[in-house]
Amino acid sequence: MWIYEKKLEYPVKVSSCNPTLASLIIEQFGGADGELAAALRYLTQVWTMPIPQAKAILTDIGTEELVP
Amino acid sequence: MNMNRKDFLRKIQELEFAVIELNLFLDTHPSHQQALADYNRLTQELMNAKIMYERQYGPLTNFGYAPSQYPWQWALTPWPWEDDYECKEDMACGYMKKS
Repeated sequence: MWIYEKKLEYPVKVSSCNPTLASLIIEQFGGADGELAAALRYLTQVWTMPIPQAKAILTDIGTEELVP
Repeated sequence: MNMNRKDFLRKIQELEFAVIELNLFLDTHPSHQQALADYNRLTQELMNAKIMYERQYGPLTNFGYAPSQYPWQWALTPWPWEDDYECKEDMACGYMKKS
């Protein structure tokens, strides 16, 4: 189970409207090789990991990448 | 301690950022004693900071991880994506605003 924290991991300040940058960011976040896809891959691949270190790192990186 | 909300939150973000990185390092280096000592020290500091923050400004986590004042603060305090993530007058951000 995951717990939502009502804050960002790192502070973000959006100071201007920039559609070109926005389109890059949305691709990086939700696109084919974005964070969302990676997070779900980590959290699924973890079930086949043979050693404790791999189970731990995939669970934690998957968790960290999951939430924007 | 009487830091304003944003500075306090920034402090928590700094601590948590360090704790996350140490956590990820320890996942693949479980016997690294120095990293573990740093992790435990910063975790204690982070836990204390979160308790004090939540007492003043409302819960950072729900589902039983932190109590709420009246009214239910989880729904009424600002969300990270909202403009400036500020505590507005009509939000139930804790005792600080009223006094």
